[in-house]
Formats: sequence, C-alpha cells, structure tokens
Amino acid sequence: MDWLFREDRYEPGSDSLKFIDKSLMSILKILSKIDRLGGQRRGILYGVTPPLKLISTILTVVCVSTSRDATFLLSAGLFVLINLIMLEKSDRKRVLALGITASSFSAVMLIPSMATGNIINSLIIVYKVLLTVSMANILSVSTGWFDVSASLKLLLIPDIFILVLEITLKYIYLLGEISLNMLTALKIRSIGKNNNKYSSISALMGNLFLKSKEMGEELYSAMECRGFTGEYKRVLAFNISRIDAVYAIIVLALTAAYF
Amino acid sequence: MHIPENYLSPSTCAVLGAAMVPVWKRASANVKREFSKKKMPLLGVGAAFSFLIMMFNLPLPGGTTGHAVGAALISILLGPYAASISVTIALAVQALFFGDGGILALGANAFNLAFIMPFTAHYIYKIMMGRGGNRRNYIAAFLAGYVSLNAAALFTAVELGIQPVLFKDASGMPLYNPYGLSISVPAMMIPHLLVAGVVEGIVTAGVYGYIRKVSGEGLNEGRGLKIRPLYVALIVMIILSPLGLLASGTAWGEWGADEIKSIVGFVPQGMEKGFNFKSSLPDYTVPGFSEHMGYILSGIIGVLIIVFLFMAISAALFIKREVKITDK
Repeated sequence: MDWLFREDRYEPGSDSLKFIDKSLMSILKILSKIDRLGGQRRGILYGVTPPLKLISTILTVVCVSTSRDATFLLSAGLFVLINLIMLEKSDRKRVLALGITASSFSAVMLIPSMATGNIINSLIIVYKVLLTVSMANILSVSTGWFDVSASLKLLLIPDIFILVLEITLKYIYLLGEISLNMLTALKIRSIGKNNNKYSSISALMGNLFLKSKEMGEELYSAMECRGFTGEYKRVLAFNISRIDAVYAIIVLALTAAYF
Repeated sequence: MHIPENYLSPSTCAVLGAAMVPVWKRASANVKREFSKKKMPLLGVGAAFSFLIMMFNLPLPGGTTGHAVGAALISILLGPYAASISVTIALAVQALFFGDGGILALGANAFNLAFIMPFTAHYIYKIMMGRGGNRRNYIAAFLAGYVSLNAAALFTAVELGIQPVLFKDASGMPLYNPYGLSISVPAMMIPHLLVAGVVEGIVTAGVYGYIRKVSGEGLNEGRGLKIRPLYVALIVMIILSPLGLLASGTAWGEWGADEIKSIVGFVPQGMEKGFNFKSSLPDYTVPGFSEHMGYILSGIIGVLIIVFLFMAISAALFIKREVKITDK
C-alpha cells in the first residue's frame, strides 16, 4: 500500500508536436473554407448566374495577364474594386487578405530584380498578381462550388473531368474530416514522448487511401442505383436576369477597353 | 512548386496547355477503357487524396516542415493516366477555388505536376522493379517519388528560367519572371534535391508499403504503360539526335559562356569564372567518326551508361538486403 501514498514523479521528456499541430491547422483551415459555402448569401454579385461569372472571370484574367496597357490595367483594378464592394464584409476581408498575401509574397521575391533596375516591370507583375488572385477568389466566394463545376459543362469540358471534380470537392471534405480525427487521435495517444509518431504518419495516409477507395466504390454503386450512367445532361435554362445583363455589359466594356 | 499567375508569359502558358490537351485526351480514353465503372470514382477520391496529402506537414531538420505532392504515389497505386487526371483536378480545384496557382498557368502547372511527374514516377518504378520480388518495392517507390519530384522541379525551373531571355520590353528589361536559368535552376533544384525530394520519396515508399501490407490486392487496376514503347522512344531519340546539328544554335540552357554573351549581352560572373568540365567525348563527337555517327554513338553510350548505373544501383541495393536477411 506504500506506493499509493508516494508522490508520482513522471516527467516526460520534451516532445515536439509541432508538425501534427501544423497539419491539423492546415486541414482545419481548408474544411472551414468549404463548410462556409453552405449558406445562401444576399448581395448583387451572388445573384449573377454562375456560367456567366465563370466565363467572365476567365476572360478578364486572360486579358489582365496579356495586357500591358496602363488604361486597361487601371480599369481592371476599378472592376475588381467594384466587385469587392458588392461582396459581404467577411468575404471582402478574405479576398483582400489572400490577394495582399500573394502579391506581397511576389514583391519580396522580386526585390533582387528591382534592385538591379527592373522596377516598372516588377511592379506590374505585383499588381497583376493582386488583380488575378482577387478575381479568382471573388469567383470562389461568391459562387457555389457545385454551380461552378456545373458551368464547366458549358465550356465543353469532358464529362469524366466534371465527374472527378464533383467527387473531389465532396471528398476533400469527407476525407479531411477523417484525417482530422485520425490526427487528433494520434495527438491524444502521444502521451509523454512518443517516438513512433513519424512512422504513424505514413500509416495514417495509407489508411486514408484505403478508406477513400472503399468510399469511392460505395459511392459509385449508390449513384448507379439512382440511374447515373456516367453522362451529365445539362438543361440549358438561361434565365438572364437584369443583374446578369448589367454584369455582362460591364465585363464587355472592360474587354472592349482591352482592344 | 505551383507557378503563380504572371510569372510565365501567356504564350508559354498557351504552349504548355496545348501540349497537355493530347495528354488529357489520351488519359481519359485510357482510364475509360482500363477502369471498370465501379472504380471511376477512385479518380476523384485520388484527387481529393492528393489535395489532402499536400496538407500533411512533415518535420524537417531546422524546425521547418514540408509537404509531399503525392503524384508519384497515385501513379504507382492507380497508374499514370489516372494520376494525370487526378492531379490535374487537384490543381484545378486549387486554382479555381483557393486562388492557389494561376488559372492561366494551370496548363503549365499540369504539365509539370500532372504529366512529367506521374509518368516519370511510373517508368522509374517499373524499371527499378524489373522482375524483382517484393524486396525492391520500397526502394523503387522511394526512387520514383524522389526522381519524379525533381524532374517536375527541373521543368518548372526551366520554364521560369527561359522567360527573361525570350520576353523583354523595348529597353531590354524582362517582362515576366526576371531570373534566368542560372538563378532559377539552382534556386529550385537545391531544395528539391536535398529536402523536398526526400520527403516525397519517404511518403511514397511509406504509404505504399503500408497499403501493400494491409491490403495487397486490387491496387493497380489501370495497368499503366508497357515498358517497351519507352525503349523504342529511346532508340528513336538516339537515331534522331543528329537532327540537333541542323539547328543553328545550341539547346536551350546548354549555351557555352560565349553563346550566353551573344544572347544576353554579358557573361554572368559565376559562369565566367566557373569550372570547365572536360568531358571524354567533347561536344558529343567521338574522334575518328563522322559528326552524325558520332552523335548517334554518343547517344547510345549515354543511354547505356545511365542503364548500367541504374542496374548497378538496384543490384547493390538488392545484394545488401539479401545479406541482411541471411544474417538473421
């Protein structure tokens, strides 16, 4: 009975859990981004029909990337600003944060080049990065992801790519949750010092693959039971609303400025 | 490794995107033929898997962390064509929904990560495996991951590096990525050769080994490529190598110091003072042969040296493991 009264002296050696925490954080970040997309939002930009928005975004990104005309680049900047104003506050913050991160990253990368005198071209690259990253993110936050993948059919993308894309979007979430649980389990089980953590990671990824394989097969059986033949049919119901018309006119005016 | 928007000229993006179209077409035809319908969702799951693998951070010396791409792993598990589609989709999701990597640069990124990487991995794995048994699995998977990531990095570096030479404004300043090959290649290759490639290799071998151990069956339904066409392609390339003589210049990125001067206008200091490697077959000519024959011979000798090196490496690794086992 003696040992019961003795004070316990277990002092585990220091152990680094940093990489588990980091993985947890990056998966959580992705999941929260996807999770957020469930709710419907109000706002003018959210109402523009998705195919139009997708095509306009690709068109303007291509124009911005190929243009060296100051007037056009400035009006494209104005267009992005107007788009930003139309967004909800939280979305606006996110788009801005991502755009500024990306462009300041390229600014840092281009410092040596600027030091040797290549200033204007470097600044144009930084500005263009800000514009294009913002445009992609504006599309992403203001449009339901499955609406985007449905619009791809209009761009003559083969069915197999659309099928794979839709499953990918769904499964990033599902598999992300599974890996989150497994990582948390690994973290909780690593009491004190656990030297086997690193080898657990490959087992974790392997398990993720096997699990996803099983889920994929079940998914397809379920789809087949509901009559899916591998082909997507899209009914082209083009209801052009007033917002769509205004949006289209603005984009057309912008591309006209390009020429 | 993703190239962001505006670092490549739009024409480079267009060329690389156009190069991907037949690859995508072949890949989807091949996958439709080789995969049973039931396995089709595996592609999407593979893409989601590759996307998530990039989220797993692995500890690196010096307190930082790195991540793997997973293209080599998917290529070994599902075949290179399936990997090509999966990684393309993963890249498209990142470009369209997460603003990571450019929309216009998608073709270029797909060329590096969804074409060069899975196919390199597949061939390396096949060649290393040979007819060998299970023991070579891990080494083959590691090398497939290591070499394929570095191949992709090299292509990325070259695409970035040729920009300042090809695209300049009126005053001679670079329009897009301003760093030439002499900067972009070492900047990309040193971290990839030393660190990122090893991470990719370890992840590829570790996960592959685990999956084999847990469930050996039904891994690679898309049987992938036969090795023979690769040999044919190699032989054709050797025979065609004298064609290089027809072109007036030297291959991109293989300029001598004097040629650099005529292109760029000055010789980068490091190159001027750099060492000159005396090859035993200088300028790819074999003394005593006509120029064309010499070219073909150099090609054959080069390929044979590489093949022998691979055979020697795999044999050495094989024997070592054999000894270890008998020791027990």
